[in-house]
Formats: sequence, structure tokens, C-alpha cells
Amino acid sequence: MIELEVARLNKRFGGNHVLKDVSFEINGAEMIGLIGPNGAGKTTLTNVLDGAVKPNSGTVYLNGKRIDQLPPFEIAKTGLGRTFQVTRSFRRMTVLENLYVPALALGKSHTGNEVKEQALEVLEFLTMEHLRNEYARALSGGQQKLLELGRLLMLDPDIIILDEPFAGVHPKLMEVIYDYIRRVNSRGKAMIIISHQMDSIFALCERLLVLNYGDLIADDTPEAVKNDPVVIEAYLGTTEDRSGSGQGDETGQSQ
Amino acid sequence: MAFFFAFPFVYTAGNYDYIMHICIVGFFYAILASSWSMLAGYAGQFSFGHMAFMGLGAYTAALFCHYFFISPEPTGICTEFALGSNYLIIKNPIGVTSTTLTQDCLAQAMEKWDGAVTVSRMPVWLGVILGTLVGGIFGLLIGLLVLRLRAAYLALFTLGFSEILRATISAEIQITRGQAGIELPSLFENGITIAGHYFGKTDKIPPYFVMFFLLLGCLAILYWLSRSRFGLFVRALREDQDAAAALGVNTTRYKILVFVITSMMAASAGAVQAHYVTIITPNNLMILQMSLVVAMAVIAGVENFVAAAIGAILIEFTLEMLRTSFNIGGVEIDMTLWRLVFFGMVLMLTLRFARNGLLVPVIDYFSRGHVAAETVVRRKQSESSDGVSTAPGGQGGSA
Repeated sequence: MIELEVARLNKRFGGNHVLKDVSFEINGAEMIGLIGPNGAGKTTLTNVLDGAVKPNSGTVYLNGKRIDQLPPFEIAKTGLGRTFQVTRSFRRMTVLENLYVPALALGKSHTGNEVKEQALEVLEFLTMEHLRNEYARALSGGQQKLLELGRLLMLDPDIIILDEPFAGVHPKLMEVIYDYIRRVNSRGKAMIIISHQMDSIFALCERLLVLNYGDLIADDTPEAVKNDPVVIEAYLGTTEDRSGSGQGDETGQSQ
Repeated sequence: MAFFFAFPFVYTAGNYDYIMHICIVGFFYAILASSWSMLAGYAGQFSFGHMAFMGLGAYTAALFCHYFFISPEPTGICTEFALGSNYLIIKNPIGVTSTTLTQDCLAQAMEKWDGAVTVSRMPVWLGVILGTLVGGIFGLLIGLLVLRLRAAYLALFTLGFSEILRATISAEIQITRGQAGIELPSLFENGITIAGHYFGKTDKIPPYFVMFFLLLGCLAILYWLSRSRFGLFVRALREDQDAAAALGVNTTRYKILVFVITSMMAASAGAVQAHYVTIITPNNLMILQMSLVVAMAVIAGVENFVAAAIGAILIEFTLEMLRTSFNIGGVEIDMTLWRLVFFGMVLMLTLRFARNGLLVPVIDYFSRGHVAAETVVRRKQSESSDGVSTAPGGQGGSA
């Protein structure tokens, strides 16, 4: 049973209080959306959870192990993986090599066929098998996004944080990413999806966390959040606002 | 490889010693360029301190030979420690005035003994090993210090370290003899007999093979590293340190390791080279020397250590061959000066038109030439088996 316990997390950058007493828990293979306006602290929260940024105070426990002071590589091995807002593939390495990195980091043998077979399975799942020996820099933006998701499959963490997985993605690729998220979730993995695309978030997630300038202002079902006056005021806007601002447009950003 | 094995035995021209010398220096630069290619090309740590590590190895070996001796009798005036039935003598530093004004304690003792006691030097191989270890220790320290530095900051930091080391060696005349440099014994001071053939201390074949085997050893280690998880992780580190860490790679460990390993290689090359040319001066650590190593690796291809090694040997030969001056319409072209201009031009043109170097594209042509064709075939296969294309993301901004 996956358990993530985030308690009273605070992070300041100079005078900017980016996370204010943020607390929440994840129990089991939940599908959670993390939303909020730009500057709300979503990416900072991700960075604190994955160890890239140390919190000023507060604790994070993953499956009973305290991880908030661990370096990122240990947190990754403990069971928390993430993608980045801007795709960060290893551009001058081949697609297969990109996939080998997390597998070998977990200590798997690089001499046997096990890792290669696993990587080929992942590529088949992502419909990228034909690109296996190409350098990542030769891939399109969308394919690089898929490659990043593939690396997470090789790391096989309990909790996966996807930072803007739908940004700049065309509808067909969106389907592949939807499929990825659902299938990985059905394998018993918890997912936190950060996105401004409300249609996707509402379609996929059963629970939403809403951050607003460092405050966690809501933690509820999508239906409840949609009708929460505080969230409407801070982020979603009124129905009229939404129809006017193009909310639901798959290629646009709602903020 | 077979060519270089056979070369000393089949080459018989009159300039034999000169050509052998160029080979040995070529091997020396090949070790530096290939290990620097692992550091800068594979791991992305663009360090300008590589020549400083070479210097550390050379100076450690030199100081070790210069100050440490074994004597069966105590001198009574030097710092000395009993070592079984012998004594380890540590000479007092006297700078560059030893021959005229003051004598070192060992010289005084030997004068007193008047040939009755034979004092022996430390073995050369021990100095080389010590030099290599000191290179590794400093590599570790520098690796720790530059953990958070990237790109230009790392280059500036290592440049600073290199210059500080050179300035310190120049300034500490008392110990290092400053610009006068320290003389070292030859690799085989008393000659060596191999397969019944005696080689004197100035013969080129023994140092040729010492440097050649050192190069082969370094290349073997680099090959093994590049094929192991180490190679994969340092390349991931070069591409994106944060992403590598988020995927479970202990970036700190690999960044330090790559500094330690490549520094040890540079230091070992420095120690052997110092024993070969029998003198080391602070000028060997000059930034110009570092630039030469960088240029060799960049021209050949910094992302492939074999290319860097071959490139270093070829460029060393080319630079020597270009020394021959010639006449154009009565105008004497002094190539001893112009060859460096030529070299600089090649470097500039390489950076502008072949950023991956001149040799790496050739190696890639043979090793990766099939990849594009293979990709197309596989795509067609998957399309025909699925009936329709399932490849997503076909459009979108190509990288």
C-alpha cells in the first residue's frame, strides 16, 4: 500500500513564501490532479517532494520512510519519480540508452538481456520501438515527452508526478498519454498530474489539490472543487469567465 | 596498435631517435587528451585543470626523487628514519643555490663518508605511483569543490586552480627550485636488459614502450568505463544533471569519480613524462599546454576518447612535421612560428564546421551508419503489422 504523508511543508525563496504549511496524504493508487495559477507553488512542491529543493520546515514520509532531507537520487530509488515541465531527455544519448539510465541506477545488470527486453517492452507500449537506436535529439517534442514517460516506467516508482504532461501536445499524442496514465495507474501506481488543462484533469483525476500562492486551498473531489467558491475565485473563475477564456481548449492554457 | 608495436623495430631512418621521441610525446598527449575527453566529452566537466594534475604527478615524482633517499648509514644531519636495516633520508630544501653557496645535508654527509657509503635513490616506479595517487587525491578535492559548478564557472575555477598551482611551484623556490625546474633520473637510469638486449638510459625503446603501455592501460580503463554503467551515468550527467538525479543516478558520486580517475591518468602520464625528459619546470603547467590538449581532443572529437587519443598522436606528428620552413617566391616562411597559426586555423574551422571533431564523424559513419535505415525499416514493419501508423508525435517541433 502506497503511503505519502506530507506535513506542514514550508519553503521560502528569500522573502517569497512559496509553500505555506502544505499538508496532504496519499493512500494507495490514487489519481490526483494538482492545479493552481502560475506561481502557486506546484513545481516547487514537486521539487521539494523529489528532493531537488530542501524545505525550510515540514516533513515528507514515503511508505514510512522520511525523505524530505534525502538527495534526489535516493528519493527516486525510494519510489518517487517525476517528469519536468520542460522535457529533459538526454539528447545526445540514444532512446535505448535514455531508458537504461534509471534501470541501471536501480542496480540492474547491464550485461544481461533483462534491461534491454524491459526497455523494448516500454518502447512498444509507447509506440516508439522503431526509434530505439536514434539519438533523443532526433525525436520530435512529443516523442521526447513520451521518452520521459518511458524512463519513469523503467524506474518503476510507486508515486509518479507528471509536470504539465499535456502542454503543447496534439490530440493523438494526448490519447497515448491518457492511455499511459490510466495503464500505469491500473498497475497500482499513484499519480499526481500537474496541468492547466482542466478537461484532462477532470477526465482523469478522482481527487484535486488546489494551490494558491503557497496555500493548499482545496483537497477534494473534482466535483466539489469545481463548485468551491474559494477555488473559483482563485483559479477557475466563473462559468462565464471560463467560456470566455477558452477553458477546455486542448491546446490552450487556461491561465 | 600493431603498427605502434612494430614501429620501433621496423623504422630505421637516420632520424630514428627524433621520430621515436615524437611518438613518446604523442603517446603522452594521447593519454592527456583521451582522459580529458572522458572528463569533458563524456561527463561534460569542461575542466582547464587537467595539465595541473599532470604537473602534480610530475612534481610529486620529481620531489620524491629529489628529496628522499635510502642509506645504510645515518647521516646525523638530515631528517632520517630507520627503515629496517637502512635509513630513509629526507634532504633539506636549499633552493637553487646548492652548488655555489650552501650544500644539502646529504651532500655534506657524502663528502664526510668519502665514498665509503653508497646512498641509493628511491625507485622510479614508486615515484610514479605516488604521483598518480597525489593526482587522485587532488582530483577528489577538486571534484568535491566543483560539485555545484557548471559550464563556464567550472572552467574558470579549474583555470584558477591550475594557475595557483603553477604560481605556487614558481614561488616556492626553496623546495621546487622555481623556474629552474627539478631534474629527475631517467626511467631506466642504469639501463635495462630486455630479452638479452641491453638498452642504455638514453635509448628510446624502453621509454617508448613504457609510455605506450601506459596509454594502452588508460585506454583499456576508459573503454571499460565507457561500456559500463559509469559511462552511461556520466553521459547522463553531462546531458542533464537534475534529470539524471531524478532517475536515481548518484550524480555526486559519479562527478567526483570521473575527476579522480581522469586526474590519476593525467598525473601518471606526467610522472612518466617527467622521468623521460628528466626535468620538470612550471612552464609545463602553462595554460598554453592545456590549450594544446583541449585543441587536440576538440579537433579529433571530444566525445570519443579513442578519437582524442589518435588525434593527439596525429596532431603531435603534424606539428613536428610542420617545423620545416620553406620558400615561396623568395619569401622565407618560418614554419616554427607559422605552424601554430595553422594549428589555430584548424581548431577554428573544426569548431565552426565540425563541432563533433574530424574523426568522430568518420567513426560514427561506420558504427551508426545503419541506424537511419533501420529506423525506417522498423517503422514500416510496425505500420504494416498494425495496418495503420501508430507512431505518435510525428509532427511537432523537431529537436
